[in-house]
Amino acid sequence: MNSETLNTLDSYSKNKYKYGFVTDIDEEKPKKGLNEDIIKFISLKKNEPEWMLEWRLKAFSKWKKMKEPKWANLSFPEIDYQDIYYYSAPKGFEKKPKDLSEVDPKLIETYNKLGIPLEEQKVLAGVAVDVVFDSVSVATTYKSELEKLGIIFSSIGEAIQKHPDLIKKYLGSVIPAGDHSFSALNSAVFTDGSFVYIPEGVKCPMELSTYFRINAENTGQFERTLIIADKGSYVSYLEGCTAPKRDDNQLHAANVELIALEDAEIKYSTVQNWYPGDEEGKGGIYNFVTKRGLCAGKNSKISWTQVETGSAITWKYPSCILKGDNSIGEFYSVAITNNFQQADTGTKMTHIGKNTKSKIISKGISLGRSQNTYRGEVSFLRKAEKARNYTQCDSLLVGNQCGAHTVPYIDSKNNTAVIEHEASTSKINEDQLYYCRQRGLSHEEAVSLIVNGFCKQVLQELPMEFAVEAQKLVSISLEGSVG
Amino acid sequence: MNIQDNYLKNKKNIFFSDNKDIQTHRDKLINIFENDRFDKKNNESLKNINLKNFIDFKYKYLIPEETSVINNNQENSYSIVSVNGQCSSFKDDKIEITKILDEDYNDFSKNDTIENNDHFVNLNSLFLNSGFKIVIKKNNNIKIKISNIITDDNLTIFQKNNYICEEGSSLNLIEEYENKNNSTSNILNVIKLEKNSQLNHFLIQDNSPNHNLIITTHSSCKKDSTYTQKVYNFSEGYVRNFHYSELIEVNSEADLQGIFFLKDNNTSNNKTFVKHLAEDCKSNQVYKGILNDRSKATYFSNTHVDQVAQKTEGYQLSKGILLSENASYFSKPELKIYADDVKCSHGSTIGPIDENAIFYLRSRGMSKIAATKILISSFINEELSSIDNEQMSEIIQKKLVRYLSKVK
Repeated sequence: MNSETLNTLDSYSKNKYKYGFVTDIDEEKPKKGLNEDIIKFISLKKNEPEWMLEWRLKAFSKWKKMKEPKWANLSFPEIDYQDIYYYSAPKGFEKKPKDLSEVDPKLIETYNKLGIPLEEQKVLAGVAVDVVFDSVSVATTYKSELEKLGIIFSSIGEAIQKHPDLIKKYLGSVIPAGDHSFSALNSAVFTDGSFVYIPEGVKCPMELSTYFRINAENTGQFERTLIIADKGSYVSYLEGCTAPKRDDNQLHAANVELIALEDAEIKYSTVQNWYPGDEEGKGGIYNFVTKRGLCAGKNSKISWTQVETGSAITWKYPSCILKGDNSIGEFYSVAITNNFQQADTGTKMTHIGKNTKSKIISKGISLGRSQNTYRGEVSFLRKAEKARNYTQCDSLLVGNQCGAHTVPYIDSKNNTAVIEHEASTSKINEDQLYYCRQRGLSHEEAVSLIVNGFCKQVLQELPMEFAVEAQKLVSISLEGSVG
Repeated sequence: MNIQDNYLKNKKNIFFSDNKDIQTHRDKLINIFENDRFDKKNNESLKNINLKNFIDFKYKYLIPEETSVINNNQENSYSIVSVNGQCSSFKDDKIEITKILDEDYNDFSKNDTIENNDHFVNLNSLFLNSGFKIVIKKNNNIKIKISNIITDDNLTIFQKNNYICEEGSSLNLIEEYENKNNSTSNILNVIKLEKNSQLNHFLIQDNSPNHNLIITTHSSCKKDSTYTQKVYNFSEGYVRNFHYSELIEVNSEADLQGIFFLKDNNTSNNKTFVKHLAEDCKSNQVYKGILNDRSKATYFSNTHVDQVAQKTEGYQLSKGILLSENASYFSKPELKIYADDVKCSHGSTIGPIDENAIFYLRSRGMSKIAATKILISSFINEELSSIDNEQMSEIIQKKLVRYLSKVK
C-alpha cells in the first residue's frame, strides 16, 4: 500500500459529521424508564382509544418475557431500557398546526440546515412531506391534494383516531408484536410514524416522503409505519433521516409494515444517515429496525431500496413475504461503515406462493475499523412452485482494520424452485485506480468514481428525489477523498 | 440414559480415564452438556438430526478378537483393516502406526483455536474408546488404504485418529466406510501437515440405513503444504461430515470437496470451515448434493480470513439438485473477512434439473429417465473425472450407477 493510499485512508477517518447540531426547543417529557405507567401516559397523550392501549400493554407483557435476538455479528454494551425517555414532544404541538406558518420557525430552520427546506419542497418537486420531529408529526403538506384521490397519508396517531378499522385490521399483521423483542418494544411504546392507504386502482401521483429526526437527548424514537396498497394501486415512499450530534448512545427501534394486495406495488426507499459516532467510536445511534412487507395478493410487488451510511449500530433486515402467486420481492442495498460503525443488515425473502420471484442486490463497503455484515435468508416453502431467486452480494474493503462478512441462509423445500447466489469480497482494484489516475483524476476522485460505480446498481433504483441526496451521502461517507 | 450417567457407568472402558488432566477436561465437557442441552433452535448445525440417537444412546463397545491386518504388498503402498476403530502397531522406515496416547489427546484438548462448541466432537472426547496414530516419515511418498470394519450390532465407536505428515512427505489416503450393521461411529481425524508436505484424502462412505456415521476432520497446514479432501457420500444411513482446516503458515492450501447422494428418508449434515491465519494461502470449498425422495441435507461453508492473512484466495461453491418435491436443502455459505487484500467469493445454487436440457435430450430420442440420469452424471462429472486413481474411480462409478438405478 503506498503512502498516498494511507493518506487517503487517514482522511476518511477524519470525516466529521456534518449534520451535528441541536435545535433548542423546550421539550416536554415524562420520567425515564419503561413500565405500564409510561405506556398509559403515551396512550393518554396521544388520546388513543381503549383498544389501542390494550394492544400496547399486551405487547409490553410479551416484551418482558423476551430476550434480544443474538444472531447478529455486533458487539455493544447492554441496553438499559430503564434509562431511556420513551416520550418527548416539543411543547405546544399537541394541537396540530394547520399549515407551515404555524410551525415553530426554529424547526423549519433545522430542516433548512439539512438542505430540505419545507417551504421550497412544498412548491418544488411534488413531494408531500410528513415531518416527524422527535415523536409528534409537526407538519403535513399536500394532504388535500392526496385526499382528492382518496389517499390517506397521515401520522399513525391520527390514523388510529380516524381509521380504526384499517388499523385494527392491519397493524401488527405483518410484524406481530411478539415477533422478537424489538418489535414487542416498538409495539408497546411507539409514539408516531406514518400511515398510508392507497385505495383500489389509484396510482399515487407523487413520491410520499417522511423525514425522521431524533432531537432530544436520550430519547429513543419508536416510529411505526404502516403502508397499505389496495388492489391495483401503486405508491412510492421515501424515508430519510439525519440526526444531530450526541455523546450518549441513542436507541432507535422502528417498525415498518407494508401490505400489497392484488396487483399492487409498493416501492420503499430509505436513506439512513443517523449520527454514527465520532472517530473513537463514541456515541452514535443504535438502530434496530424491523421492516417487513407482505405481498398478500396475486401479482403484487414490494421493492426495498436502502442506503445505509449512518448509525453506530445498524440492525436491519427489510424483508418480503411472497404469499400471493406471481408476487415479486426486491431488495437493493448499499451499506457503508466507517470508523467504529457496525452494520448487520440484509433481507429475508420467504417464498410461499407459486411463481414468486425475488432479487437481492447488496453492496457493502467497509472502511476504518468498522464491521459490515450482510445477512440474508431466502427460503422456498413446499408450495412455492417455480419460484425464483437471484442474490448478489459484494463487499469492498478499504483498509486492513475493517471486516466484511457475508452470511446467507438458503433453504429450499421445493424441487421446481431455482435459487442462485453469488458473493465476492475484494479491495479496490489497483488496475482500475491506476487507469483513472492515468487519465488525470486525483486519487480521491478515482476512489469516489470506483465506489460510485460499485454502488450504481443500487443507487439507480432510487427515485429521482432521493438519488441526488444518496450520492451526496455516499460521498460524505467517504469524505476527505471523494466527492 | 443421559450423557453423564452413561459416562460414569462406562468410565472404566474409556481411554485415559486414569489421567488426571484428561479427567478434568472431561468434567468440563460434562458441565457443558448439562448446561447447554442440544438446543436445536439456536444451533443450525443440529438441523434435521434425530438427536435421540446421540443423546440417549446405549454405550456398548467390544475390543475386537481379530486383530487388524496391515499389508505392505507393493512398495510404498499399505492397506489397513481397522476393526472397531482399533489398529495394531506397525513400524518400518517410512511409516509408524501406534495406538493413540495420552499426549495426543492432551495435545488436542488444549487446541482452542478450532471451534470448541461442537457437541459431537465433545462426545468423542468424552467417550473415546479407540483410535490410532499414523506418522509418515520425512520425504516419503506413501499410499494407504484403510477399511473400517465394525464387528457387532449396536456398537458405539468413539474413535480418534492422528495423522502426521512430516516434512516433505506425501500421502495418498483412502478411507472406506462400508458398514452393514446398526452401529454408530463418531470419528475424529486430527491431521498435521508439516512443511512442504501433501495429503490427498479420499473418504468413501457407503453405510446401510441404520448405521450412523459422524466424521470430523481437523487439519492444520504449515508452510507450503497442501491438504486435499474429497468426500463421496453414498450412505443410506445418517452421515455428518464436518471438516475444519487451518492454514497456519504461508503458502499453504486447503481444498475441501464433497459430493453426497441422498434418497429415502435419509439426512446428511455437512460443514467445511477454512481459517486463513497466514499470508498467501489458498482455499477451496466445493460441495454438491443430489437429493431424492424425502431426503434432507444441510451444508455450511465458512471462510475466515484473519487480519494478517493478506493475499488470500478463498472460494466456495455449493450446488444442490432436488429430484423430488419432498426433498429439502439448506445451505449457508459464509465469509468472514478481516483483511483487505483478498479475493474471496462464494456461489450457491439450488434447483431442479434444467428442463431445457431434458427437453434437448428428449428431442433426440432419449427417455425422460435416461435424460435425467445423464444430466445427474454430468452435474458431478467434473469431480469424478478428476480422480486420478483408476481403482477408486471404478468403485465410485459403480456406486453412482447403483444410486441412479433408483432414480425414477
